[in-house]
Amino acid sequence: MNEVTVIIIDAAIKAAVMALVLLTGFAYMTYAERKVIAGIQVRRGPNRIGPLGLLQPAADGVKLFLKEDMMPTGADKLMFNLAPIITSIPALVIMAVIPVAPDWIVNGYTVRFVVADLNVGVLYLLAIGSIAVYGIVLAGWASDSKYSMMGGLRSTAQVISYELAFGLSMVGPMLLAQSMSLRDIVHAQEARGIWFMFLQPIGFLLFFITGLAELNRAPFDMPEAEQELTAGYFTEYSSMRFGMFFMAEYIKMIAVSGMVVTLYMGGYLGPFVNQFPPLGIAYFSAKVFFLLFTMIWIRGTLPRLRYDQLMSFGWKFALPVAMLNVLATAIVLVYVM
Amino acid sequence: MLNPWLYIGIFLIVVFILPGVPVLISALIAPRKPNPIKNATYECGVETVGDTWVQFKVQYYVFALLFVIFDVESIFLFPWAVAYNQMNLFMALEGVLFILILTGGLAYIWKKGGLEWV
Amino acid sequence: MVAPSKPITQDLTERFPGAVSKDTRPGYEGYIVSANKLTEVATAIRDEYGYEYLASVTGVDYIADGKLEVVYHASKMSGGASLNFKVQAPRDGEPEIPSLVGVWQGADFQEREVYDLYGLRFSGHPDLRRILMWEEFEGWPMRKDWKEVYYEQDAKPFKTRWPEGSVYRIEEKNRFNKNVRYPKGFDPRSFKSDGDEKLYALMRGEHLPEHQRINTDEIIVNMGPQHPSTHGVFRVVVKLDGESVVDLKPVMGYLHRNHEKIGERNTWLMNMPYTDRLDYLSGMGNNHGYALAVEKLIGSKVPERAEYLRVLMVELNRIANHLWAIGFLINDLGAFQTPMLYLAKQRELILDIFEATAGSRMMCNYMRFGGVVRDLPSRIRDEDTLDFITDLVAERLPAALDEIETLLTFNEIIRTRSIGVGVLPAKQAINGSAAGPLLRASGVPYDLRRADPYSIYDRLDFKVCTRPNGDVYDRYLVRIDEMRESIKILKQVLRDMPASGAIMDGESKYTHKVPNGESYGRVENPKGELGYYVVSNGAPNPYRYHVRAPSFINLTMLGDLCKGHKVADIVVILGSIDIVLGEVDR
Repeated sequence: MNEVTVIIIDAAIKAAVMALVLLTGFAYMTYAERKVIAGIQVRRGPNRIGPLGLLQPAADGVKLFLKEDMMPTGADKLMFNLAPIITSIPALVIMAVIPVAPDWIVNGYTVRFVVADLNVGVLYLLAIGSIAVYGIVLAGWASDSKYSMMGGLRSTAQVISYELAFGLSMVGPMLLAQSMSLRDIVHAQEARGIWFMFLQPIGFLLFFITGLAELNRAPFDMPEAEQELTAGYFTEYSSMRFGMFFMAEYIKMIAVSGMVVTLYMGGYLGPFVNQFPPLGIAYFSAKVFFLLFTMIWIRGTLPRLRYDQLMSFGWKFALPVAMLNVLATAIVLVYVM
Repeated sequence: MLNPWLYIGIFLIVVFILPGVPVLISALIAPRKPNPIKNATYECGVETVGDTWVQFKVQYYVFALLFVIFDVESIFLFPWAVAYNQMNLFMALEGVLFILILTGGLAYIWKKGGLEWV
Repeated sequence: MVAPSKPITQDLTERFPGAVSKDTRPGYEGYIVSANKLTEVATAIRDEYGYEYLASVTGVDYIADGKLEVVYHASKMSGGASLNFKVQAPRDGEPEIPSLVGVWQGADFQEREVYDLYGLRFSGHPDLRRILMWEEFEGWPMRKDWKEVYYEQDAKPFKTRWPEGSVYRIEEKNRFNKNVRYPKGFDPRSFKSDGDEKLYALMRGEHLPEHQRINTDEIIVNMGPQHPSTHGVFRVVVKLDGESVVDLKPVMGYLHRNHEKIGERNTWLMNMPYTDRLDYLSGMGNNHGYALAVEKLIGSKVPERAEYLRVLMVELNRIANHLWAIGFLINDLGAFQTPMLYLAKQRELILDIFEATAGSRMMCNYMRFGGVVRDLPSRIRDEDTLDFITDLVAERLPAALDEIETLLTFNEIIRTRSIGVGVLPAKQAINGSAAGPLLRASGVPYDLRRADPYSIYDRLDFKVCTRPNGDVYDRYLVRIDEMRESIKILKQVLRDMPASGAIMDGESKYTHKVPNGESYGRVENPKGELGYYVVSNGAPNPYRYHVRAPSFINLTMLGDLCKGHKVADIVVILGSIDIVLGEVDR
């Protein structure tokens, strides 16, 4: 076997494993969200299908497969079909650069728990993360429905209000780690012996909040605001195409949580992780679960902002604060050096 | 590792299959009985009135223009941040100055009322 | 439109000799105003006599006299009985009287309703279209000579729909020959309503002022009838410039079943359970208003304990309704139902009391003319009834309210979303006949329980809650305050209620001899002034049965409240008005 074949096989295995994990994660995210919110709302949540309702996601999946797929007469057919795919791919691809455990040397062969360790990992996150919005805008536009269109336009508004603060709050960890590679950022946190969320609390909070906006999650879920736009950009979607949007949203939740964990919460770091690297996966997952729970919790408690208010929050609060945070970090670093 | 982008490429191929396959399966097994009313545009049970693809007023278009400027400029901070340790004080402070100019620009726009909806 | 410092006391007949005369029919009161002087008299009533508030407008068809009559009820904000004046028009030809929209904005929808149901035109009305029926409807359904397909007799309160017990569909017997008239060239299958087109044409007219506009297109969007947050099959047609509302018109009638016409076919008592279906969230209050209206005619004296039971139920009902209203308001703000379910927990307990007492949780059918139908049961949920209610009133509800307040009142997002949104100035609130929390949140201390006390409210100590700003947030706060006041009332009721005693004035009867005459009974329902205008001609069923529905009339101002706000604010403002479609569409 030459090297290229090995790489291809290696990559294909990693990609398949990652994709499967994400898909299962998605399925059980829907279940977890319903259960957690049910708990918050003093009810039981799904409990009919399987023990504790654990097979509910499977039933939902079957239902989505068997639903009739409708397309409005006036819709732009190509774009209407393409939009869900454009939305869901970036969500899956983001996870490619996030390391979930340290390297593990087994029988002289190095197992790397990351699909691709890019030296520009942070840029990659930023770039891929904002592609998903194209799918949403296209879906809104292609549906030929006013509600969808307004939902699509709102999601553009969201991107332009939050992308800046989102990007700028990544600068803090980069300044501290002197690298754009996510693995190096994790290593830097290991070397300093402290998670960046404690060194950069403002950056961490901003990153998480703007991450929520990036995800179209409550309280920033204007593009799909049920109360106003019925379902926003996916009003006209049904069957598996709707399922794709659904999947994209939940997988992106996992991905953004992964980003926050890697940049600010020490990634896979934890006790004994260097002695037995696969432990890193457990630590990483635990941290991601914590953030996912927080997101669900926020959804269960907070009302939604209006989107002009969201824009002024993004521009008049988040952006200046992010800038000042970078500034302050830079100055303090000069002083330390 | 030869080239991480190769990995990304292979990953892309795999994830392209992922959303594609369910949609295909669904297209094969789901019923398909369209009729004009079912395929009508949803507008809360009433026939839609007027055209959807109009010159919709995007009230935040000023933000969109500003976004392009700020986004490009904030990307410049990324390499600066990565190379921070290798810089001398003057270079580091130049970056700081750059951020200050950005902040000043934002303040100017804010004062001019650019951060309001039209 | 400032109320004069000293309202004049000169009688209307002296003020307008020749144009106004006293209504001298037996059992009637008020004045009859001649149509050509109506606007002038109404303006005087508003400005000189201080009746600033037009409570109710309705029509009556006196077919025997060949007259259509429009009945107005106006109230003073300082309280006291309402003033009742009427205008008569011949029923033949195309009757027309002047519109009072210029004097009271609140006449808008009510005049449209009279036009819709009686075919009486109001000259000068800005937008006289049908409101509850659809545009192409043939005939005027509330006129006494309009025959419905099912029921062809004038009144048949006792005849069964299925004689001899055999069930058949009426269409099989009646081929729509007798009283369904299709217009010429009408084919039901190819029928396409142009009512919507008329409405859209109206809306296309209005634009933003030129300087506020960049060259973009405005779009017309239908929100509803099938929309998740219009609280039922309610529809608003919105004209949008981007996300800003340029113009908004409510469209209702999707749930219309002509409650009033059915009410005129039912016997007096049969209407009692039917009132539950109006505002189905506050059935007790609906019962109360109707009972008051009819008791005025019959002249029955309600026993002490029954009065207390009524107030107990009505105030519990007020809390249940406000809990629901707040829950849905926060839900409309996008809070994914959590506050609603928290509040529903307490509401369930209140409904338990209703169920144990009246037999049904929402459709209580609890009151009768002259009393209530059942006394309190001895146990609720395996607890002593009084203990259960006292515990609820003294412990659980105040605790629940404190919880809401800590969780919601100072929530930053709720405050940003609702402060300054949908502001209704006090003047417009009065002029537009806003009622209930909507009116009081604008700073007008008008509560019928104080303004025109009924039942035992004059003995109870509570205050009328107001808030100064008239925005969504204030409406929310007023509801919280009112619940606290209701708890205060309930404590007094529980303290003072006679331990036993009669609950009915005399025997409970199925049929009632109701003397000739008219009567207007009104109560302060959770949603506002709920009035029943009933006319009796001695028959076993009402000659006229009209409901002054607060939800319906409060919607008059929806368009004005929403203009200039964003799409997202529409549902919030609608939620803060708190409508129930059963009452809006009747």
